[in-house]
Amino acid sequence: MTDATSPISASKAPAGLLGRLEGSWSWIALGLAGLLLPLLDDSYFGVIAQRAYIYWILGAGLNLVVGYAGQIAIGWVAMLTLGAYTTAALAAGRVGGVEWHPYLALIASGVMGAVFGVIVGLPALRLRTFYFAMTTLGFATIVTQVALAWKDVTGGGVGTPGPVFPWPFDPGWGFYYFCFILAALATWITSNIGSSRYGRALVAIRDAEVAAEASGIAKPKLLILIFLLAGGLGGVAGGLFSSLQSYITPDAFTFEMSVLFFIGILIGGRGSILGPLLGTIILTVLPEFAAPLVQWSTFLYAALLLVIVLVIPGGIADLLDYKNRRPLEQHREIVPRPELLSRIFDVKSGPSAITLANIALHFGGVRAIDGLDLEIRSGEVHGLIGPNGSGKTTTLNVISGYYRPNSGQLKLNGAELPINKPYARAAYRIARTFQTPRLVGGASVLENVMIGGTIDGSGTFAESMLSLPRHRRDEKRLNEAAMRALATVGLESLADVRADRLQHSELRFMEIARALMLRPAFLLLDEPAAGLSAEEIRRLGALIKAISREGTGVLLVEHHADLIFDICDRVTVLNLGKTLAAGTPAEIRSHREVVSAYLGA
Amino acid sequence: MPISRRQVLAGSAVSAAALVQGFPAPAIAQNEPIKVGYLPALTGPSSSTGVGINRGVQLGVEVINSAGGINGRKIELISRDTQSDPTKAVNAVAELTQRQKVSMIFGPVNSGEALAATPLIARDKVPMLHPCWVDELIDVKKYPMAYRIAPTNTQVGGGANYYVVDVLKLKKVAVISDTTGYGTASVNTYVPMLKAKGAEVVYTNHIDAANPDLKPELLRMQAAGAQAIMPWSVNAGFLSRICNTRGAMGWDVPIVGQTTLGSGQTKALLEKPEYWNKVYSNNFRQVCYANGKLPPRAQEFVERLKKSKIEMGDTLLWWIALGWDSAQMMANVFKGAGTKNDDIVAYMNKIKAWPGVYGTVTWTPEQHNGFPDSEVVMCEVNSLKDGAFNLAPGYSA
Amino acid sequence: MFASIVSYGLAVGAVYALIGITYNVMFSASRVFSFTAGMLGMLGGVLGALFINGLGMNAVLAFVLVMVAGAVLGLVTEILTVRPVLKSIEQHLYVLSTLAFALMIQQVTAIEYNTEPQPFPVLFPIDPNSWLGIVDQKFWLPVLACIVTVLGLEFLYRCTLIGRAFLAIAEDSYAARALGLPETRLRMASYAIAGVIGALAGFTGAQMLLAFIGNQAILNFYGFVPVALGGMGSNRGAVIGGLALGLFQQAANFLVGGIFASVAVFAVFIIVLLLRPEGLAGAAAARRV
Repeated sequence: MTDATSPISASKAPAGLLGRLEGSWSWIALGLAGLLLPLLDDSYFGVIAQRAYIYWILGAGLNLVVGYAGQIAIGWVAMLTLGAYTTAALAAGRVGGVEWHPYLALIASGVMGAVFGVIVGLPALRLRTFYFAMTTLGFATIVTQVALAWKDVTGGGVGTPGPVFPWPFDPGWGFYYFCFILAALATWITSNIGSSRYGRALVAIRDAEVAAEASGIAKPKLLILIFLLAGGLGGVAGGLFSSLQSYITPDAFTFEMSVLFFIGILIGGRGSILGPLLGTIILTVLPEFAAPLVQWSTFLYAALLLVIVLVIPGGIADLLDYKNRRPLEQHREIVPRPELLSRIFDVKSGPSAITLANIALHFGGVRAIDGLDLEIRSGEVHGLIGPNGSGKTTTLNVISGYYRPNSGQLKLNGAELPINKPYARAAYRIARTFQTPRLVGGASVLENVMIGGTIDGSGTFAESMLSLPRHRRDEKRLNEAAMRALATVGLESLADVRADRLQHSELRFMEIARALMLRPAFLLLDEPAAGLSAEEIRRLGALIKAISREGTGVLLVEHHADLIFDICDRVTVLNLGKTLAAGTPAEIRSHREVVSAYLGA
Repeated sequence: MPISRRQVLAGSAVSAAALVQGFPAPAIAQNEPIKVGYLPALTGPSSSTGVGINRGVQLGVEVINSAGGINGRKIELISRDTQSDPTKAVNAVAELTQRQKVSMIFGPVNSGEALAATPLIARDKVPMLHPCWVDELIDVKKYPMAYRIAPTNTQVGGGANYYVVDVLKLKKVAVISDTTGYGTASVNTYVPMLKAKGAEVVYTNHIDAANPDLKPELLRMQAAGAQAIMPWSVNAGFLSRICNTRGAMGWDVPIVGQTTLGSGQTKALLEKPEYWNKVYSNNFRQVCYANGKLPPRAQEFVERLKKSKIEMGDTLLWWIALGWDSAQMMANVFKGAGTKNDDIVAYMNKIKAWPGVYGTVTWTPEQHNGFPDSEVVMCEVNSLKDGAFNLAPGYSA
Repeated sequence: MFASIVSYGLAVGAVYALIGITYNVMFSASRVFSFTAGMLGMLGGVLGALFINGLGMNAVLAFVLVMVAGAVLGLVTEILTVRPVLKSIEQHLYVLSTLAFALMIQQVTAIEYNTEPQPFPVLFPIDPNSWLGIVDQKFWLPVLACIVTVLGLEFLYRCTLIGRAFLAIAEDSYAARALGLPETRLRMASYAIAGVIGALAGFTGAQMLLAFIGNQAILNFYGFVPVALGGMGSNRGAVIGGLALGLFQQAANFLVGGIFASVAVFAVFIIVLLLRPEGLAGAAAARRV
């Protein structure tokens, strides 16, 4: 046991106290600056800072939507509008004739924002990116128009006064600290989410949606939670905004403001908390000091956005990420250690099998699979070979639930597997890899692998938000499991490296490590040897063989005949969507048609 | 020597503040300039009014300073362009009141910014002079240091209502606006006023100013039997479309409403020049031609503008006059009361029949709206010459 | 009143349809929806008014110049904002790059031209009070432009070799490239054509919509609605959807007033897309794993 853990803990050693300080000095500096700003006794700075805090409260939530989940919500200013009007109208007694206490009204704004965050977010669950961008834009327009038309509540175009918060957060430095505390809270909550399995799942949805689903991440449920949180934060920001502005009219909520929030996040960098925070501060403060340029400010924001997208897609966060600019060791060698597998598969399950009976799948007139029978048994490596277009990957996609077959049955131990729900496969411990590795390039190798274990977390979203004990236990467990998986495939020394810096062959092993996180009962491998050197293929073969000996049923789609015949227990040969031959490697090797067609004996 | 004592006190307060901030205390001399905050909207979507007023303000301050200033002190105009954006206005207020410690603030012009800025300025106890018409901005209890040097919306609407009902003798009226704060507030205020005068409001609506086709609106007004259209908007595109549609329909009713009806921008958007006939916009008696002549104060002012080569063709005389009057009024107040806010309020509360180019201003401790009803009139928009108009037919000269 | 609903509704609907086609032409060539569609429409009007009213140009020359400007902007869009992000299309960065470019152009227009709506000249004067009033330029010109565009595109796609190459790219760009088609050049040509169509929409619709920077956002949204409802890439869907939208809006304007109309359009847009994400006429595309 000790021999297995020692390399793991050794690799983590440099990230001790110094490493943690290295990561958090910027937070400490920002916090101190915010706490001590009132010492300057300059209310002008105070107002600008309050504005930056308020914008960031909204931005922090939007950051999860845009920066993490990759949903292009351009019209999020609508949440600010909603929140501002809710707080103002309730506190002024414009609804039901009762004047709400301002703090209660602020809470109501948060609830309102959360509800509408989900309503606006719903289309994102089904629609393509550009459609969603359009619907958020349309929603922002509608909210303004309703604010204009619903005079009894919003005061129409005349507007309505915002509340003054009573002691202890009364106007001036009291309100300043109120905004500061809430902004700090928003930062804390969102960075908890960002670094939790929910945050990793969001980034996975953004950069590798298919892999996310294969890891058991259900996009709709997760996105609804995020829209709830982001909408709530937007609503609270709106309530504070109404007090800062002292009076709100619909013309205070411009499209430019929405673009500003959005660009602040992208300048900061997607998938980061600190970057977007700095981006939001810069965009709030800059116009105050660039007075001659005010007229051009929107132009400059837009130009900045273009430059960011084209030249530095990683934004400020990338510039700050000096750790990943340190050169990596050249000529790295991957040495898997299959002997560690027993520690991953700590619970053995009984024998089981996935059976495909007479499966057929048509794309228009093309018969991709045409009546296929197949059985994958636990503890065996089953090879699937055939020429391009013979239906190998399609078969794999049917098993993992991406395609709905036109006919036939797909069963696990005699029970039908649900169709068209790829994210439900992980719960059956069916894992897979992809022909082209699906990875989150901006995340570390460790985080990429941890995505694979998402369904094993037991803490709820709220627990992660507040970093409660169960969440911390989850994280610790996932972290350890991922390090074990990485050590098994031989990548533990690269755990902290950004995944997009890895070589192609390393990515293939990383995908296997991610799949191992599920302790898979079945593992579907789609051409894992493509692009690997002969030596690497040999090691890969040994690893796959060892995995199957742990009781996992492996389906191996491959072109490398040597690998197939080396490690497979059984082989199926496909042609034009049909089984051409099936049997042991020895039988296939001597199968006349197969030999003449593919093996070119 | 009460003035100099006050200045010494003010000076020591400033140096105490400076010590706290860790800066060396500057020597406060007798000729330290008087800081005045100024919040115009010089860029952004509704900036033409601001640009016009700005010409008058700049000229006024220039003339005062070149004549030696106020008791030897120059006026320093600290101007912050609000870009028609309320959030910019709020930031600027904090800078002007807290950091620059201005003695008085003039502006903002646009309603959204003025509504947001006023409570904040009142909180910081800085006297302010309003060019904006929104009624809610003046409230002696809530904002005891705010004064208006212009008419209120109620007065402006009252002027138009008076013209339609009492001069043109029309009883069935259509009242419309765009969807902006100014437009909706105006309609909400004016409709009850019209009804109180015995007129019948047969049609009322708020219309999206971007709506390119207003024929449906006008047809509905016509069907309702309207004898006059009263549009309330500062959007030239919207107002010109009303004129164009009325002309194209060949519907011969007067259009009576907002001053922008007579702006050059509205004129530029007309399909035919004659569509500007029978259009009457708000204006102010002191700056209108009666029998081809301006009143003496305005005439003298126009000559000064011509001498200073101030452009008048692309703006309106009353905008420039309002800016000029505001600068003169502030100079007058500083001369009479110094720069301490309580003294300023006490002094302004007693201003009576102050003769401005734009209007005759009177304030009392109870009433901080200073513009007389009798000077709000209507004019014929197609008589535009040098930024001024003829009084509409029916007024006595 | 009925005549007014129909004439105006068809006219503004034709402008929406043309902007929808602008989206489609760009989409077919690159699988990219570009925020520059509304910008092209806005600029068609602004540049037309600037050339004819501002610089006193001859109307025909001005028209040609506006079309050239549209084509150039189309090319710039392709080179600057689409090509660099095409290789990572699944990240949808084109949404941001085209939005940024459109905003930049809009701001330059706002500052260098005008933020207020400006008049667009009457090119074919007709007495609006005569019976010909319904066929005023502002009504028939956009409809004519729409018909010419649809027929022109049909001819291009059906009867010319280059048009078939466009179709091949739209169907499967990977296969088309494998066949040796010059994909990049065809994409640039498509963007230039889209630029011309967008500018044409703006130019012909400008007497009605005026030369106004605010038209950019309006056309972006209302031009996209027919594409979303009619199915992406389908010009027939865009034309039917655009005309229906125009008529609906105008009828709502007459019967209940403007704000309700825009809320109603938005609600229909959302509901249809939630129920049928592929649009009313579109077919569900197979997922690529």
